[in-house]
Amino acid sequence: MTFTEVLEAVVFPGVLFTIGMGFLFDWLDRKTAARMQGRIGPKITGPSGTLQPLADFLKLMFKEEIIPSHADKKIFLFAPALYFLAPLLAIQFIPIISLVPVAGFDYDILAILFLLAYAAFVVAVLSYSSASSYTTIATGRLVLQYVSYEIPLVLAIITAVLYSRSLSVEGIVAAQSRLWNIFVMPFAFAVYIIALMAELEKPPFDIPSAKTEIVAGWLTEFSGRALGFLKLTKEISYVFGSALAVSLFLGGPLGPLIPGVPSAVLYFSYFMIKLLAVGFLIFVLKTALARIKIGQATELFWKILTPLSLAQIVLVLAIIQEGILIAR
Amino acid sequence: MKMSESTSSSNPTRREETAGLMKYSTENLVPFGPIHPALKEPEYFKLVLEGEKIVEVIPRIGYVHRGLEKAAESRPWVQNMYMFERTCGICSFVHSLCYGQAVEELTIYKVPKRAKYIRLIIAELERIHSHLLWVGLMGHWAGFETLFMWVWQDREIVLDIVETISGNRVHKSMNAFCGVRRDMPENMEDHIVEKMKYLADRARYYREIIDTEETMLERTQKVGKLTADTVEKLCAVGPMARYVGIQNDVRLNDPYSAYDEVPFNIVTRNEGDVQGLLRLRLDELVVSADMVSYAVKHLPDGPIRVKIPPTIPAGEHSSHCEAPRGEIFYYVKSTGGRTPDRVKSRQPTLANLPAALEMLKGQTIADVPIVLTAIDPCFGCMDRMSFLDTETNKQWTWSGEQLRQYGIKYYKNRR
Repeated sequence: MTFTEVLEAVVFPGVLFTIGMGFLFDWLDRKTAARMQGRIGPKITGPSGTLQPLADFLKLMFKEEIIPSHADKKIFLFAPALYFLAPLLAIQFIPIISLVPVAGFDYDILAILFLLAYAAFVVAVLSYSSASSYTTIATGRLVLQYVSYEIPLVLAIITAVLYSRSLSVEGIVAAQSRLWNIFVMPFAFAVYIIALMAELEKPPFDIPSAKTEIVAGWLTEFSGRALGFLKLTKEISYVFGSALAVSLFLGGPLGPLIPGVPSAVLYFSYFMIKLLAVGFLIFVLKTALARIKIGQATELFWKILTPLSLAQIVLVLAIIQEGILIAR
Repeated sequence: MKMSESTSSSNPTRREETAGLMKYSTENLVPFGPIHPALKEPEYFKLVLEGEKIVEVIPRIGYVHRGLEKAAESRPWVQNMYMFERTCGICSFVHSLCYGQAVEELTIYKVPKRAKYIRLIIAELERIHSHLLWVGLMGHWAGFETLFMWVWQDREIVLDIVETISGNRVHKSMNAFCGVRRDMPENMEDHIVEKMKYLADRARYYREIIDTEETMLERTQKVGKLTADTVEKLCAVGPMARYVGIQNDVRLNDPYSAYDEVPFNIVTRNEGDVQGLLRLRLDELVVSADMVSYAVKHLPDGPIRVKIPPTIPAGEHSSHCEAPRGEIFYYVKSTGGRTPDRVKSRQPTLANLPAALEMLKGQTIADVPIVLTAIDPCFGCMDRMSFLDTETNKQWTWSGEQLRQYGIKYYKNRR
């Protein structure tokens, strides 16, 4: 591993950049919601309040950490760090400044699927470890929500895999050089976005952390540094989920190259525009919707979205078979 | 163990029933309150759950008991009016109105007509403000933050009008015995009519959102189902009775103030669920806005107040008014002195609570905030004191002195 590779993994477009994007997404989220609701939103810290999420994070770093007496202390203290790792690792498989990701390999989609399951598992475990009534209910909801959204989410990813005939993000991006996947499989993209909102617990799927029902859901017992990192991890998962949507359906960093301009700059700009567009789509959807109940969420995913994504797979297979629209 | 043996009698008492809850493991008991984000005031509900489903709700009321009724006995008549206004932070005016009406009945003086109209205007503005606040909170509790923000922005319009008329946003302090303290400001007429039209339009728009927004419909339809029979049996009042089609409205059944002169339609609905309550309150908002416009246009000339002496003749009287949440009730007793002998107030939340608990049974925990809010609870208003021995089914009251002695004895023994 060369020095440049390490730098790419740790600073840009790796860990530090992702964390920065997490803060930016948090700010955009709050600002969009505020503007849609007729409020102003963060304003004072930094230009237009852009540093507000960072300030909130730093504030939590200096707060007292309280460990409930019933909690399983080892898991309670250690699991937030395990959770923090998941999206940071996963983002290394996404190509951002070139067509080759920092740490991609031939079957990295499988690794991404594993990391998604791993993150949900760690959250369930850390939620259960804090052993209070609210977190117990939240764990139940979390697991139920996970089994609901996972099938359509994986099916949507598989659609892209099948069409591109590649199990790596790099290969899927490369296969979209002529036509983005979203034009071939619009329903898979829609299902992916809805499942992603469920994964990120954004309204209408903020069921495991419904503040008016079960206080803060699985976050209830956490405080201080752990809370800061858990909240940051949620934002980074947000960035990762949107980045994966960009890579799978919107052609990743692909775009027209201009002679004379370094390709890295162009790739990065295209990627960022698409990333913010996907992020913005989720901000708007989440602001415009009310929370549904856990049973209704399960029904939505199993009865509507799973058949829809299966139909999309059949459609895509037919397209491949017939040789129409083949862009390779 | 012993407890369960003693419950074998054919007619278990309430206390035994409560003790029977021991059969549920503590993991199934979820405390809801006294401090909870979904409650704006402290109140405690013990939820017995089976998974996510609620099988039993045990309320424990009295967290915000402030001793207002006792405090009234040591204050002059007129001061009490402004103290009772502070019973509630939302429907403040109607408390002073109801108390004032009970006291006015004891005197020989009559309320001038103009004052009656101004009272109606303020009371209806308060209803608009209260209903808007409630619709916003319903959005908040259903996880629909945008609705909350929008509705509360419109609520500012009403508060601004109230401030222009009375000088205050929440505790209007407009009432006086046999009149009001302030006259309507000049040249406000067109402004109020225009704003009322705007608010009625907004209410229709929110009605449209609530009727069409899929996530909101899923949360409110068929949630908290009650039938007219149950509601009648549980003695619910106000919107909680009107949403199953019972015409329970003091404004119509026993008109006070100027309600017999200002035309209005009483709104009832037949859904009997939370969705019906939302529609009902938004429709009532339109009716109230029309009433305010009519009253402002037809405001009679004349004095706004009759001065009355500080002592009130001996006697007792009660009065009831239609608060935004339902019927409120005040009873006053005078011995001819400068302070009341006894004041009793009954707030709609207390009457509506049994129905709310009935609505909760069979729902999931996700419905608790939305159903509990659906009755528009105001626990600060509700918490009063009464004695009921469940063992012997005997009811009694204590005089202030008896209660004082009991308190002294209780704390002596505790030490």
